[in-house]
Amino acid sequence: MTSLASRPQSRLTVSAAQTTTAAVRGRAVPRRWGRRLYLAANIAILIFLLAPIAIVIVFALNPTPFIQFPPVGVSLRWFEKFFASRDFIHALGFSLEVAAMTTVAATVLGASAALAIARGNLPGSRLIVATMLSPLMLPAILTGLALFQSYVLLDVGRPLWGLVAGHTLVTIPYVVRTTLAVLHNFDVRLEEAAQNLGASPIRTFFEVTLPLVKPGVMAGAIFAFIVSFDQFPVSLFLVAPGSETLPITLFNYLKFDLDGTIGAASVVSILLAFIVVIALDRIVGLRSYVKL
Amino acid sequence: MPASSAPRVNSLALLILPSALLFALFFFLPIGLMAVMSVLTGNPVVMPNVGFTTRHYARMGNDSYYLEVIWTTIRIGLWTTLAALVIGYPLAHWMARIRSRTGHALLLMAVLAPMLTGIVVRTFAWMTLLSDKGVINQILTSFGLITRPLQLMYNETGIIIGLVHIYVPFMVLTLTGVIGRIDERLEQAAENLGASPWRAFIEVTLPLSLPGILAGSLLVFALAISAYVTPILLGGFQIMTLPILIYQQISANFNVGFAAALGMVLLTISLSLVIAYNHVLGLVSGQRGLQ
Repeated sequence: MTSLASRPQSRLTVSAAQTTTAAVRGRAVPRRWGRRLYLAANIAILIFLLAPIAIVIVFALNPTPFIQFPPVGVSLRWFEKFFASRDFIHALGFSLEVAAMTTVAATVLGASAALAIARGNLPGSRLIVATMLSPLMLPAILTGLALFQSYVLLDVGRPLWGLVAGHTLVTIPYVVRTTLAVLHNFDVRLEEAAQNLGASPIRTFFEVTLPLVKPGVMAGAIFAFIVSFDQFPVSLFLVAPGSETLPITLFNYLKFDLDGTIGAASVVSILLAFIVVIALDRIVGLRSYVKL
Repeated sequence: MPASSAPRVNSLALLILPSALLFALFFFLPIGLMAVMSVLTGNPVVMPNVGFTTRHYARMGNDSYYLEVIWTTIRIGLWTTLAALVIGYPLAHWMARIRSRTGHALLLMAVLAPMLTGIVVRTFAWMTLLSDKGVINQILTSFGLITRPLQLMYNETGIIIGLVHIYVPFMVLTLTGVIGRIDERLEQAAENLGASPWRAFIEVTLPLSLPGILAGSLLVFALAISAYVTPILLGGFQIMTLPILIYQQISANFNVGFAAALGMVLLTISLSLVIAYNHVLGLVSGQRGLQ
């Protein structure tokens, strides 16, 4: 009895199972190909993003004075030429000097502004934030042009403080953004608790707020350093002849020469940038500040 | 206004003052001066009798060369934006949907690495790739695919390739944030109802990520039209864009007034983009508020 009853039933089940598998297989084939296409496209995009950086490194180590592919050997002659060149070394030192001054100025001003915006109950704070972030979106070449014209009108020449002020202006948005992100994320009740326990607002600020916003401020500072170190359009208008920043010197060199020295200089900048990124990751973790 | 809805301004608000001073003296005042200079006949410091003039703007309107330069700048900006979107979207989608934390960190590194490499260095990289004796032409020649080198740079194509590489990370980071906020279960629901993954993407994910597409595109366009290094080096001084023309007016012609007028044109275009960008970002965060 059981066998008779179960047979048609099992056949039904089997055929149902077969149709499902067939349907799944029918859909799975294009799905698998779609998945492969998706990954292939993304890998191609990653190659597009990273290959130029790899090429620069290869080119810096290649001994021939012109571009040769595949490379014929490994040499450090371009690094020697770079470190022996007074122009490049002077520019590297000057860039580091400007970036250091800019970082201090942008961090102090930007972090204070962020605190004022987040905790000062300022009216129109949204407009203030938009204003503080505007040097990011407005072409930096305009900031350079406008400052250059003002310095010409005021007849002050091209002073170092003028260059640092320009750099500070274009780096402040990063500090404001990272500091504000941290200030918005942490619990205001921590500050309230400190005050309820009898701490004065000033003591609360130094013992609760400041330690908590430190990662955001540090991330902003590192960003400010990188942006200032790589800054081009503002420097283009504001550097004095004879004391140029590294990007300007590289640019002027590139206009006439395409040898491996530029590759070596690039590798030095890339290494500096990577050291900074690793430091950044150590201090705050990469995810927390990458918000556009 | 009731006190509860508008808390009193406290002493921390004073911390805004140093930045306010910096912005007033080194941002608003200079840009104001630029606006004034663009309608003056000369430099008021050197020449005692300067007057009002619209000749700098008239020169732009009357000479088709300058209109051509403005159009070239916008055209390069549009192509760069379109290419950055097409290239940036898949990567942003992958970054937003990848499950592995290590995978996400590696992708983030890959996107940030070019951003941290400096514009001059990246432009140099593309010069070594695209020039007549560059890597791409050498590879193609060695395989016998071409006999004469392809003209890959010193034209608009070269400029656009370089600009896309420089600005695609901005597109990816903007898009990833927006795609990441789209509930993945919406796509799964569409697929469970019988839609193919492609159709689920076109009808669910893509429309929901439109604000991100718009915000990223505005950002990339604003950055691309103000680029200087890449257009001048990859264009080989052959192609004139607005930023190149502005710097030329200062460095070669020392025509501060005309440079200021050109600057005002670029400022107007950029300001409208900034306003649109902030509006779109407002839409994005408004949408998040609804969820």
